[in-house]
Amino acid sequence: METLVFTLPALFLVTMMMYIPFLMSGYYSLTEWNGIAKEPVFIGLANFRELFGSGSSFAGTIFFTLNYTLFFMVFSNIFALALAVALAKKFRGANVFRGLFFVPYIMSMTIVGFIWKFIFMKGFEKLFSLTGLGFLNLSWLGDPSLAFYSVAFVGVWQSLGFYVVLYIAGLKAIPEDILEAAVVDGATPMQKFFRITLPLLGPSVTTCIFMSLTNGLKVFDIILALTKGGPGKATYSTTMQIYQEAFTNNNYGLGSAEAILYFIFVLITTQLVLRIMSRREVDL
Amino acid sequence: MGMKKKAMMGRILLVTLLTLVSLIYIYPVFLMFMNSFKPFGEVVSDPIAFPKQPTMENITYVVNKIHYGSLFFNNVFITVIGITGIVFFSSLAAYILDRRRNKVTALIYALIITPMLIPFQTIMITLLKAMNILHLDQSRVGLGIQYWGFGIPMASFIFYNFMKTIPKEIDESAMIDGASTWRTYRSIIFPLIKPVTFTVIVLDVMWIWNDFLLPLLMVNSSNKTKTLVLAAYTFVGQMNTKWQYAMAAMALTVLPSIIIFIILQKYIVEGVVAGAVKG
Repeated sequence: METLVFTLPALFLVTMMMYIPFLMSGYYSLTEWNGIAKEPVFIGLANFRELFGSGSSFAGTIFFTLNYTLFFMVFSNIFALALAVALAKKFRGANVFRGLFFVPYIMSMTIVGFIWKFIFMKGFEKLFSLTGLGFLNLSWLGDPSLAFYSVAFVGVWQSLGFYVVLYIAGLKAIPEDILEAAVVDGATPMQKFFRITLPLLGPSVTTCIFMSLTNGLKVFDIILALTKGGPGKATYSTTMQIYQEAFTNNNYGLGSAEAILYFIFVLITTQLVLRIMSRREVDL
Repeated sequence: MGMKKKAMMGRILLVTLLTLVSLIYIYPVFLMFMNSFKPFGEVVSDPIAFPKQPTMENITYVVNKIHYGSLFFNNVFITVIGITGIVFFSSLAAYILDRRRNKVTALIYALIITPMLIPFQTIMITLLKAMNILHLDQSRVGLGIQYWGFGIPMASFIFYNFMKTIPKEIDESAMIDGASTWRTYRSIIFPLIKPVTFTVIVLDVMWIWNDFLLPLLMVNSSNKTKTLVLAAYTFVGQMNTKWQYAMAAMALTVLPSIIIFIILQKYIVEGVVAGAVKG
């Protein structure tokens, strides 16, 4: 009895905010409903058929999301690891540097997006007139092929500090005598890093890869602030698609179907990566 | 000696390089602050330099326009309500679920943490409708309460894992002395789980304070319920953004976080690391 009294509030709240809306999404995905008509009309799997049909742009948003996530994972982890190796060393002011890289992470992603929008639009123009460097004169938000890189770059910039501190924590946990022994045995810095540090860093790498995967798949705020999915549909993430379908086009039924497919997509992708990572860890 | 000198040189080179990289890295944040002190013409003509004639006009305009004080209060109010509920309900549930292990508690635990797998965008459309029926939309208290539901899965998971490390003997002896379960939780367990409570608070404050989409859906209609990020959002339009005001609004939104981060850097970083490793 006491067990129920103490645990039911948590269970009740989770049910209200997550399970019920989730089940409702499941139901509305089978309906046509514009939010204005009183009752949604049951149409079976028609929404899903539409989304898998040839005229649908939904597959494109999944493709973008996967691309973004891959770019985000690779570059967040490489840059963070490199910075962490430098910042894990003991020197005066090390904490100040660590703090500086962490600052964008404590800022709202929407605001980060706007700052960079300003830099891409106004800052680059000025820098170009000062330096004449060609890449500053490109339309980083207006050119469909460049906008992807702008959005992904800002995503990496915002959360790099987070992965840096995770890697620093991992590096500090590596016993120093092992590294010293390697140096005594004549290992070059490169050998030391790839043969000893990196394998011993396994758990941190797993954590960082998994976190960057789930954060990449969820990308939304930065895109809304920077490009709103444009130009055209060049930076349309699945989250953006669901948002626009529901709140701009008022297709709540179709939006719910997209939301359900997005859930399945995220579930499969994360489980797949977890499976691969756990297999790799056994190999080590 | 040669080795030592080489190591010294290496260190100096490293620090110089790091200084350069970190200054470029953090420049966009400086740029936001600098431009909030420039008049419009200067923001457009020279967006990257220090202000030539610093002015407070943008700041005072934005503070008055968005009622900064009351929006700041909204942010604090929503965050405090959210955190209090998440910490209280999660730690209480985690305590009972860990101490009384049986089929029922295992099921309840699974039900509480599984929603970590549901992305917010999957439920946001219907959430809006559900919250409308419950009258939890368009209200600060309502938004705070909604964060309970979204925060509890992860927080319960973190608390539950930590609870395992606290010896059962401690609360069993309290029970033998006649303390009720509630009493034991309140005066013995809750103080013991302080480190992990702090982790949960750090993670959830950063999340709720900066959250954008949920407030956009739930409290965007009125200045009485808006949050700071939403106000900053309204300053950036599609075409003719008044960047000097936008920069001031963004700077004012970010400033409290930065001040708190400077004061509590060590603890915040520790909390974030602990949260990621445990979560």
